[in-house]
Amino acid sequence: MTPQLTAKPGRSAEPAATGRAQHAAGAAPQNRKRWSSRSRRDFVVFLALALPNLILIAVFTYLPLINNIYYSTLNWTLGSASAAVVGLENYVTFFTSADAGKVLGTTAIFTAATVGGSMVLGLLIALALNSKVRGTTFARSAVFAPYVLSGVGVGLVWLFIFDPGYGVLAWILRSFGQQSPQWINDPQLSLVMVIIVYVWKNLGYCAVVFLAGLQSLPQDVLEAASLDGAGGFRRFASMSLPLLSPTTFFLLITTMLSSLQAFDLIRIMTPLGTGTSTLIYEAYLQAFGAYNRAGYSAAISVILFAILLVITALQLRFIEKKVHYS
Amino acid sequence: MTFTLDRRFFLTLAGAGTGAAALAACGGPSTAPGTAATAAADIDFSGVKPAASIDFWSNHPGKSQEVEKSIIEKFHAKFPEIKVNLVTAGANYEEIAQKFQTAQAAKSGLPSLVVLSDVWWFRYYLNESIIPIDPLVRQLDIKLDDFRTSLVDDYKYDGKQWALPYGRSTPLFYYNKDHFAAAGLPDRAPATWQEFAGWAPKLKAASGAQYAFMHPALAGYAGWTLQNNLWGEGGSWSKGWDITCDSAESVAALQAAQDSVYKDGWAGVSSKESADDFAAGLASATLSSTGSLIGILKSAKFNVGVGFLPGGSKEQTGVCPTGGAGLGIPSGVTKEEQLAAAMFLQFMTEPENTAAFSAATGYMPTRVSADMTAVLAKTPQIKTAMDQLAVTRVQDNARAFLPGADQEMAKAAAKILTQQGDVKATMTELKATLEGIYTKDVKPKLKA
Repeated sequence: MTPQLTAKPGRSAEPAATGRAQHAAGAAPQNRKRWSSRSRRDFVVFLALALPNLILIAVFTYLPLINNIYYSTLNWTLGSASAAVVGLENYVTFFTSADAGKVLGTTAIFTAATVGGSMVLGLLIALALNSKVRGTTFARSAVFAPYVLSGVGVGLVWLFIFDPGYGVLAWILRSFGQQSPQWINDPQLSLVMVIIVYVWKNLGYCAVVFLAGLQSLPQDVLEAASLDGAGGFRRFASMSLPLLSPTTFFLLITTMLSSLQAFDLIRIMTPLGTGTSTLIYEAYLQAFGAYNRAGYSAAISVILFAILLVITALQLRFIEKKVHYS
Repeated sequence: MTFTLDRRFFLTLAGAGTGAAALAACGGPSTAPGTAATAAADIDFSGVKPAASIDFWSNHPGKSQEVEKSIIEKFHAKFPEIKVNLVTAGANYEEIAQKFQTAQAAKSGLPSLVVLSDVWWFRYYLNESIIPIDPLVRQLDIKLDDFRTSLVDDYKYDGKQWALPYGRSTPLFYYNKDHFAAAGLPDRAPATWQEFAGWAPKLKAASGAQYAFMHPALAGYAGWTLQNNLWGEGGSWSKGWDITCDSAESVAALQAAQDSVYKDGWAGVSSKESADDFAAGLASATLSSTGSLIGILKSAKFNVGVGFLPGGSKEQTGVCPTGGAGLGIPSGVTKEEQLAAAMFLQFMTEPENTAAFSAATGYMPTRVSADMTAVLAKTPQIKTAMDQLAVTRVQDNARAFLPGADQEMAKAAAKILTQQGDVKATMTELKATLEGIYTKDVKPKLKA
């Protein structure tokens, strides 16, 4: 990158020599003109490269977002050509309804359990895979494989496993003289079932990222600690874990955003969302399920957007400070 | 990164905001006043030529894709100038409704003919998404009086005909004849649920099945089949637009259902599809749609019996709801497409085609004049379904006409049948929810 490209227009890149002050003063407009034309060319190149993407993002991300905010102010039945403007009524309805507590609670439990489960189990698996034993390459692939599988396929297979009538789990339990729990019909167990499957599907991602983090830790520091008599747990708790904080922080943000937007498994395993209606699934059910309340659904989507924004901002503001990047 | 909050920045931001707001207001629904359903004027189809090609959206109820294809082929042979494209628009009534509603919102990609279930067509009427077919009935001379009255009348509202019956069904009582014989029970469906409660312990002991009876899956259409239990005890989801699910009779009916699972322990609740559970031998009896009949007969490895739905302590007959799907014509397509769709609709519901559809699926023949001799010779159980039509009852408004009511009923049923929730409290809560739906989503759209 040339100095001219980084310098601000109108300021000389060369230090102004005392004896040449007048010359410098006279040259400044010329420099500005020269850099301006360069900058203009650079700007055209920038536009040519970035504009198509910016237009796509604007049309497919920001415009729907703005549209959605507008729809959230309407009493609009999906499929109807007309709607009534109701201002903030949809938001008031949501926050004053009995469902708000249930939906927000389900969202919180699902997010906390899936983020916590995926990260803790992912870290444990990464620690196991980081050891120098035979078969780790195969184990690594096996652990990561569920992450790349289709959520729909995974949901269908696990539904068969959990089916209390003729599922694999029910068959195993029956062979011990036990009845299968009502995984699908009982709302509380449905949530547990979806959390288990979600964690199973996504912990491979956390494991692989943690493994990469573990393998990039400075070995000399860990060896020094070992020579100083630190045991395995002490080395992990006092050295590896803090040094892994950039990885942990990255995973915390990505898995939390992913969990808050989890849809496919919930849709396949519990179509009515009984007990598993998180914010995003409630938004779907309200508009595209049986209710067709498009305006109300849009309001729930805006609430989810606001929550995601606040969580990300809080993470960046408070948690990132505790991250060690070196 | 730093940026300066100057006048230019604010002007740019204001411009972008204004532009975005303008763009946002461009799409979506009209917000002009007046949202009540207006009286749909009859469309004049005189002089209109049928379109050369139409899309028919179906979810192939009762695994009917093959029979639908064969009827379309026959239609092509009779009307070579009209091509019908059969589109799989969902796996069930809800998915096809979702796709149709989305196409309505997008104002593009609409079909010319669409399968609409008993709980969806009224919403399409309220949203003015379908047209009254009366002028097409007159122009094409569709014989409405040859349709089974109870089935065709389901789609009458506001003095107009909004659809025609297609894959119409009722629930049936399915039982395992072998289990009944082993338990020394008569080879018939019980007359009442009380009678079945007396049979259940013998059935469970003799059959080796997990349950004597399997309640239909709640995520399916619990609100539909539970009407049988409610009506038998003199209860209902609603009477007219008055929600009555918390009446003493309704609570008693659902309490009995809960007792069958928890107190008496002879019934289970299906997780996915009670017809599959029954065919797999998990239960000695179940309720399921007539549309499941052919599938059950094919997959069950035992003798299958069918019968009328049992009554209750208050009502022994007239305790069976109708259900299933009809065919409607969207308002958002051209007159030419609507006319071509009506021609195909007329063909689909002709006596020989409804008989073929019935033979392939188990759904009811919708035409009185349909010759069912060959069908009944092959599948005599269909006769029971046809005979039961005479004692069916129109569904409660709350179940058929309130958006999302089915889902709320399923949630309430789950609370009662899988969590042993308090029946009275659950029904009181459901009543409040259903009344809220009526007040907010339906009442403002009904004509005074």
